[in-house]
Amino acid sequence: MAIFNLKKREIECKVVYYGPGRCGKTTNLEYVFKSYKKQVTGEMVSINTEGDRTLFFDFLPIGLGKIKGCDIRVQLYTVPGQVKYSSTRKLVLRGVDGIVFVADSLEVRREKNMISLKDLQSNLKEYGKSIFKVPLIMQYNKRDLADEGIPLMSIEQMDRDLNRQLKVPSFPGSAVKGTGVGVTLKACLMETLKSLQREFKWAK
Amino acid sequence: MDISLQIKSLLNEAELYRAQGLFPEAKDKYHAASDLIHKIGKLKNKDSLLKAISDKIQSLEKKTAKVETGPSSPELSEKGQNLIKSLFGENDLQKAVVLAKFGQFERAVVELEALLKDDVYRVDAGKNIIRCKMAIASVDDAIDQYHQWLSGDLFTGHQLESIRTYLQPIIDRKGIDKILPVPVSEKDEINTDADSGGIAFSMPEPEEEILDITSIGITFTNGSHKGKMVEFDVNFQSGGTLSLIISKNDKGLIDELKEGDRLDDIQFYSPIAMFKGTAVVTTKTRIDTGPKRGDFCLDIKVTST
Ligand SMILES: Nc1nc2c(ncn2[C@@H]2O[C@H](COP(=O)(O)OP(=O)(O)OP(=O)(O)O)[C@@H](O)[C@H]2O)c(=O)[nH]1
Ligand SMILES: [Mg+2]
Repeated sequence: MAIFNLKKREIECKVVYYGPGRCGKTTNLEYVFKSYKKQVTGEMVSINTEGDRTLFFDFLPIGLGKIKGCDIRVQLYTVPGQVKYSSTRKLVLRGVDGIVFVADSLEVRREKNMISLKDLQSNLKEYGKSIFKVPLIMQYNKRDLADEGIPLMSIEQMDRDLNRQLKVPSFPGSAVKGTGVGVTLKACLMETLKSLQREFKWAK
Repeated sequence: MDISLQIKSLLNEAELYRAQGLFPEAKDKYHAASDLIHKIGKLKNKDSLLKAISDKIQSLEKKTAKVETGPSSPELSEKGQNLIKSLFGENDLQKAVVLAKFGQFERAVVELEALLKDDVYRVDAGKNIIRCKMAIASVDDAIDQYHQWLSGDLFTGHQLESIRTYLQPIIDRKGIDKILPVPVSEKDEINTDADSGGIAFSMPEPEEEILDITSIGITFTNGSHKGKMVEFDVNFQSGGTLSLIISKNDKGLIDELKEGDRLDDIQFYSPIAMFKGTAVVTTKTRIDTGPKRGDFCLDIKVTST
């Protein structure tokens, strides 16, 4: 849950990148760290295990400056995607204000995307949150691989698989190249701030 | 598509999946490629091609094993631990407990011990110390700790009783035949709510002694899988009972696991620790409806860890 300091007029909120193992969550964050120097307010911390897989989380603090007279700080996290780290995922998700669901466009990962979305839904539920209400954005990552002749799902198919009921904003992306990373994050921050505004009404 | 193009594209895919760390997917494609190659009658360098692919598969298997057995909770640097504390804990007790949740037991114990001095946190700190001792050492260590507290005067009788009622059921469930002495109640009637009073936050209960287990590896001691470890995802866990789904395609496995079977060599994988233990197959049922129809659901009860 966001921390709203009325006196200092400061809001600190939490955005989590979720998705199946190897879908590109960490790569998204790395790109943000490299490319948004002005917004980044601290080091990116990654706690990894064998083969560069996220073990606990990645963490990157950013600042959006003053919005309607309020200083907005955001903590970006990624969860570990590997199935076996389910309780760490839940721990990291605690108090989340906005979510980017990174889906893998590779055809071979179709089912893994769906399982991970389901996992997100049930973890949110355990915190008393509904996946239909939480600020959520989808990113269909690895679109660049189409050029290399690797079988990808079409955007339409991914929307059908993952977004038919949710109907949240979705963006194609290529985290390695950086395409779609910025718009995804921006859309998520917009949704998150809108929802925080409803809650705290700081912008009057 | 021309068969050689087909093979080429399969190998191309396999290579990319390998590079992205998608090892099972890569393996599938290598197998598919090698199946195709087998089908071609005469191919100039057939043998060397097949050999190259089988080498790739072998190296993938090694990598997969490495990922799966990779340290599940390495000791972090002090900086990493401080970060976890500040990011995930709001008060001192939560900060210490969060260290334990991320598997940083040694440091958690140090911080929890410091909290024993604080009347508000003492009982919860105590319970969590017990929990850490069980995770890093053994139940015996936890029992020793209790006895040590019993002979000291840090805790009131009432506070210790709260710890005893937390620890005793764990000991019982582990099948250890030890009864913890009930503390001689001190004259602390005035203080009866000492262990709940003052705690105005919702502190997560000290975790059950059985951690969340996400998957297990069963090493078979006889039958056609003798000596082999087969991994299963845990679909559901309730305390010490784990439910696994075995696909109908694994007919051999299903036949080999019978109700009442003792499984003496199980590797348990949990997000914060990996440990060995034993279990008993309690029920085996065929799923008759839904998408998993025909598969089997196996309940096993963890008997020791
Ligand atoms: N071609 C391509 N590769 C990508 C893209 N995004 C990520 N990858 C690759 O996919 C692999 C996994 O990326 P990570 O960012 O580590 O994935 P993750 O989601 O953090 O994985 P876990 O930490 O295990 O959950 C790496 O080899 C990346 O280089 C992309 O947009 N295009
Ligand atoms: Mg990662």
